[in-house]
Formats: sequence, structure tokens, C-alpha cells
Amino acid sequence: MTKTALTTKHKSSAWARGGRWFPWLLILPSILIILVIIGFPLIYSLYVSFTPYELLKPKSLSFEWSTAFNNYIKLWNDATFWRAFWNTILFLAFTVNVEYILALALSQLLARVSVGQGIMRTILMVPMMFAPILVGFQFRWFFNTNLGLVNNGLIALGLITESSRINWLVDVPLGMISIMLATIWMNIPVMTIILLAGTLSLPADVYEAAEVDGASGWQKFRNITFPLLAPFTYIALAIRSLDVARAFDIVRIMTDGGPAHRTELIWTYVTRLAMEDTKFGLGSAMGWITVIISLAFTVYLFSQLVRSRVFQ
Amino acid sequence: MRKLSLFISILIAFSLAVLVTAQEPQYAGLDKDLSGITIRMATIGGGQYEAMYDSIPVFEEATGAKVEIVALLDGFAIDQKLKVDFATNAVDYDVAWDHTSFVAQYTDFLLPLNDYFSEAELSAFSPAILDAATIDGNLYLIPRHADVSALHYRTDLYENADIAAAYQAETGAALEVPTTLSELDRQMRFFVTNGYSKQGYGMAGKEEALTGRFYELLFASGGALFDENYEPSFNNEVGVQVAELLRSWYEDGIIAADTTSLLWDGDAAAFCNGDVAAKLEWYGWYSYFQGAENCPAVAGKFGLARGFSGFDNSGARPTGWAGAHAFSIPAASQNPEAAAELIKFLTSERVAYEEAQLGFLPVRDDVWDRIITDAESSGVALDKVRLETARIQISEDFKTPPLIAEWIPFSNIFYPQLQAIILGDKTAQQGLDDAAAETKTLMAEAGYY
Repeated sequence: MTKTALTTKHKSSAWARGGRWFPWLLILPSILIILVIIGFPLIYSLYVSFTPYELLKPKSLSFEWSTAFNNYIKLWNDATFWRAFWNTILFLAFTVNVEYILALALSQLLARVSVGQGIMRTILMVPMMFAPILVGFQFRWFFNTNLGLVNNGLIALGLITESSRINWLVDVPLGMISIMLATIWMNIPVMTIILLAGTLSLPADVYEAAEVDGASGWQKFRNITFPLLAPFTYIALAIRSLDVARAFDIVRIMTDGGPAHRTELIWTYVTRLAMEDTKFGLGSAMGWITVIISLAFTVYLFSQLVRSRVFQ
Repeated sequence: MRKLSLFISILIAFSLAVLVTAQEPQYAGLDKDLSGITIRMATIGGGQYEAMYDSIPVFEEATGAKVEIVALLDGFAIDQKLKVDFATNAVDYDVAWDHTSFVAQYTDFLLPLNDYFSEAELSAFSPAILDAATIDGNLYLIPRHADVSALHYRTDLYENADIAAAYQAETGAALEVPTTLSELDRQMRFFVTNGYSKQGYGMAGKEEALTGRFYELLFASGGALFDENYEPSFNNEVGVQVAELLRSWYEDGIIAADTTSLLWDGDAAAFCNGDVAAKLEWYGWYSYFQGAENCPAVAGKFGLARGFSGFDNSGARPTGWAGAHAFSIPAASQNPEAAAELIKFLTSERVAYEEAQLGFLPVRDDVWDRIITDAESSGVALDKVRLETARIQISEDFKTPPLIAEWIPFSNIFYPQLQAIILGDKTAQQGLDDAAAETKTLMAEAGYY
């Protein structure tokens, strides 16, 4: 038997034994698709972020070491970027925490509903069925200075007068509060459903033991429900944090980041730079900074999730 | 004798025919045989913009060409499409919608039209608009219709004898439609302070709309956004004067408390509701304001006038921020000659006249004559005043934003700073200096210096 024949036989026997390459071969199409659909745009946008690319100047899509970090340096020195950055952090912290507190309360109430639970849950889901753009228009109208429901309601109640109408979408900090309220209203069902699912899955025997020991309702919530819900809490916070960090639609419609950048968030600013000013390089750099921060935040939340599960 | 009668009858009939033909507005661009050629067009759609395209079968029948509209989008969407198509070399059309405010950013992707249109053909159009469509000596657009902002004022305030007497008593001046910015300022404060109007002046307060409104007051006051070297000059004393006026208007309730949230529609709605005494506004809103079902508070109760002059500085002139919708030919066009013929047809006297009858302001002198004559038979006196005033403005006051590709990026730098000044976050000088510093970086990066 020749050496070549031996080698061939060795290979085919390894293949026949279901060698270690075979599973990879099976998932190769999926890997290729993921690389093309997700990997390529990501890498391409990373490349673009190191170029001065502007949409209507095709020659600007060229990489040079001497100017590679210009976009990042420019953003570092851009006061509007930092304002958008801190606004986004504030927006995220306030929105997610308020959503969590309200969702936790709602989930506990819903878990105790004995009649009409299905209807209650369906009603709860209604806000998230609307397109964010519609919610934006709706709340923009609510908070309109002259025609809005809120100001006219307050006037009807005698709390403000015609001449002291509140500029909800203009004044500081009311502009931010307005967009936060719209976002919270729309997204509270997501967090509530996750926490409700968690609450309903908690073991009944722990509560029975607590009742035998004479624990009050608050003690049961404080010492049993709240800690046991930790994994669900971290999942809910992770999902919503990532979602809120890329908030765009509602803000775009309600204030578009204004006036005077007072409600500017990262993604409204990215849109202005990339889509309106056609500065794709700068917009990509800003997008990547956001993605890296979001990834770091997600890693932190998931590490907390793992810790909470180990604790249990 | 019978032969002579017959000859005279034929002569009269022929003369009448010639006369009638001469009175009818004429098509153009129908002379060439374009059989077998398909002309593709990406253009603006929606509402009354599309009525023009109903005439295209006349062109197709006369020339043998086939016209295919490959994109019919609103103004924002068609602008986005052009940007993306130009950037990605995806232009597969021969005629593209364009606008005087946007054309500067597209010049690398458009054909200069000087060789496709004769002097005689171009002489029909308003020279001011052709100037606005010419960059570095190259004509890139053939205008379709135009708009310019005119002073809209409420006649129920200006023609009220009691209010006029009160104004005379308080200021010592007659209450007349303002022709200067200081007169306007005095009148607006009077209307608000004395409760005759909820707000005095009306204006959009964000995005390009705010930049444009500032620009208008700036050039009317003898100022300019840029000097001859494209260095920002809006932060000089004239710019500060205008910015401080806007700040004081906001602080004193002369403009709406939510001005910085208003774009065109919100701004127009305030006038429509009767909340505003006077404002600069586009003629395009005319039929909306005149509709009693839309705007009962102002329908039939407002007047139109040429824009006022700005602050009394050297170079002051009437306002007149203007722009024109137009057609251009992409450099990638496969049939530029045929595209030019289609543009000649679409901007011909006949098609332009038909479009002007829908309320658009024409860009051709021959069409102006016709619609002003038509307006004489209208029962609404303002119909004719509107056209006469607009014609003067388009020929004398027509001023577009600077023809630079960076107009929108500049506006996105400028308007938030102006909002900060209006809202009191920054002083006028500080805000304008900050905007100037950012603008200088923008222009330097774009290669202006």
C-alpha cells in the first residue's frame, strides 16, 4: 500500500468516525451567514470610524494612520457629545430604575389577582403594542404648551393659569422628564411581564415556612420575594438598559434632542451627524463608543446575574 | 367681388387663429424625435406636486419618448435618495428633482446645463433664480416653481380704528404695515402688552427653519453669515443685534413660549389660530390660511406685504429668504439630451401656467403675466395683491441661503446655539462665538481655507 493510499485511508476513517470537523461543517452555513449579516457590517463600520468618510465625498473613505483617530479625538473634545453622553446616562438611570420600581409593584399586584388575571395582563401589554413613533406623537401632543392635554388639564383643575402654561418640552428639566415619562409608559409592560413570570415561578414552600414563622407581608417580600427575584431583575435590567441606551424614536419625535441640546441623547446626535450632516465616519465612531459602553454594562449586569444565581 | 370677400374672410380667420394661438400658453421641448428613448425621472411627489406629471403623455406622444417615473417621494425622502444614489453610484435616472437650497452639495454629481439650454430659452426665467442655480459659472438647475417669505399680518388688528388710535396715543406713530424691523418690534410689543394679540411675532424655532429666519433678519440688517473668504461673520455686531432681539422677544413673550419646539407646521398653526399678529411666512400657505374651514380666525382677515428692512445698518434691505424647486440632470444620465427636452417641456409656459393655477409661484415672466391677469377676475382682492407682491419679491428680494454644500451641517451647528441664546442659556455674543468657532472647523475641514 502506498503512502498516499495510507493517508487517504487514515483521513476517511477519521471522517467516518465523525471526526471533530464534522460538527463544524454542519454549522458552517450558519457561521457564514452570521459573519456576513452581523460581522461584516460591524467590522466595516469600525473601519469607517477610522476614516473621515462623508457620504457625498466618496474619496474620503480612505484610511490613513495620520488621521485614523481624528474622529475619536474630535468627539473627546466635543462638548455636545459629552452633553449627549451624560444626558443618556441620566436618561438611562432614571428611566430604568423608575420602570423597575413600578414594574415590581405591578407584578406583585398582578400575581395576587384572582379574578380576571388574563384581562389584566392583556391590558397591561397594550402600551408596548404601539409603535414608538406613535407614542412620541401622542406624548408630544400631551405636553404641547398651548394645545396639550396636560396643560389644559392643569388649567381646568385651577393648578396653573392661562398665562403660566408650562413649557414641558422646552424647560429644564421638564424636557427630559417628558421624554422619560413617555418611554416609561411604553416599556413598563416588558419589565412587568419578566418580573411577574419570576414571581409566579418562586417556590411556594418558602412562603409557607415564612407564614408558619409569622412573617408579615412586607417581611416576606423583603426577605424572600426580592432576593429570589434577583436573577429576573438582572435579566430585566439588562434588556431594558440596552434598549434605553439606544433610545431614539420617541425622543426624535418629541424633542429631537432640543432645544439647545437640552434633551440630546447619543443616538439623536449620531443621527444628526451621520444622516443629516452625512458625516458617516464621525457617526460610526460615536456608534462604536456607545456599543463598547453598552457591552461593558451588559457584562457587568450578567456577572451580577451569575453571582445572584450562585448565591441561591 | 366674391373673390375679394373670400380672401378677406380667410385672412380674418387666419389672423384670429394666429391670435388665439399666440394667447394660448405654449409647450416646449416637443420638436425632437426621441423615439425608442426611455427617460427615467426621480422626482418629488405628494399633494399638488404630482399634478404636473399628468401632462407627460403630451410629451410622450409628440416626441415618441417614454417617460418612467422611478421615484416619487416627498421632499425629505427624495433628498435622502439622491444623496445615497449619488454616493453609491446607483443613479439610474436622467432627470432628478432638486432645490436651490440643496444643489450645492450635489454639483459633483450633476451635469452643467449651460450647453443644453439656449440663451433664449433661459431668458424666460427669473434671472435671480437662475443666479441661485448657478455655481462657479455652471447652471445646474432649471427652476420649476419658487417660494419666498412675505410679511403676513392680521388686518383685524391693523385696520381697526380703535387699535390704531391707541397705538398712535402710545407711540406717537401711525399703525401701518411695518417696513422696518424697529417698526415691527414696536408694534408687536404694543399688541402683546395691550392684549390685542396673544403673541406678537411668529416664527419657527428649530432646525433649518430657525437658521433661515435668523439669516433673513441678518441680511435684511446688512449682515452676512460668511465673509468673502467663507469665514463666519454672523458673530459681528449685526448678528449680535439680531440674536439679542430674538432673545428679548422670547423673554418678553413677543414670540411663543414654545417657539424652539416649532417647525413650519406648528408655526403656521399659530397664525392660523389667530394667536400671532404678524410673521414672515411662505406664500405656499396662502390657500390654507384663506380656507375658512381650516383657519376661521384669519381667513379673509390677513394681508400680505413685501418683507420689512432689518436694523438700520449699512446694506439694510428687505427680507426675502427664498428658494425654488427645480430639475437637474445627473452626470450619470444615459440620455442627457432627451432629459433636457423633458425638462424644457416640464418648465414650459403651458405646464408652468397649469401648475401656477394650483397656487405655486411661477418662475417665468410670461406665466406671471397670465396669472395676474387671471387674478383680476377673482372676487378676493388679496389674490391679486399676493401675486403682484410675490412677483416683486421674486425679482428684487429673492435671496437663497449661501450656495455651499455645508449649508445643512452648518445649520445643525448654528441653530442649537441660537436656541441657547433665545432661551437664555448663553449670551448672544457667547452663543454666536461658539457657533462661529464650530463653523470655522467645519469649513476648514471642507477645504475652504
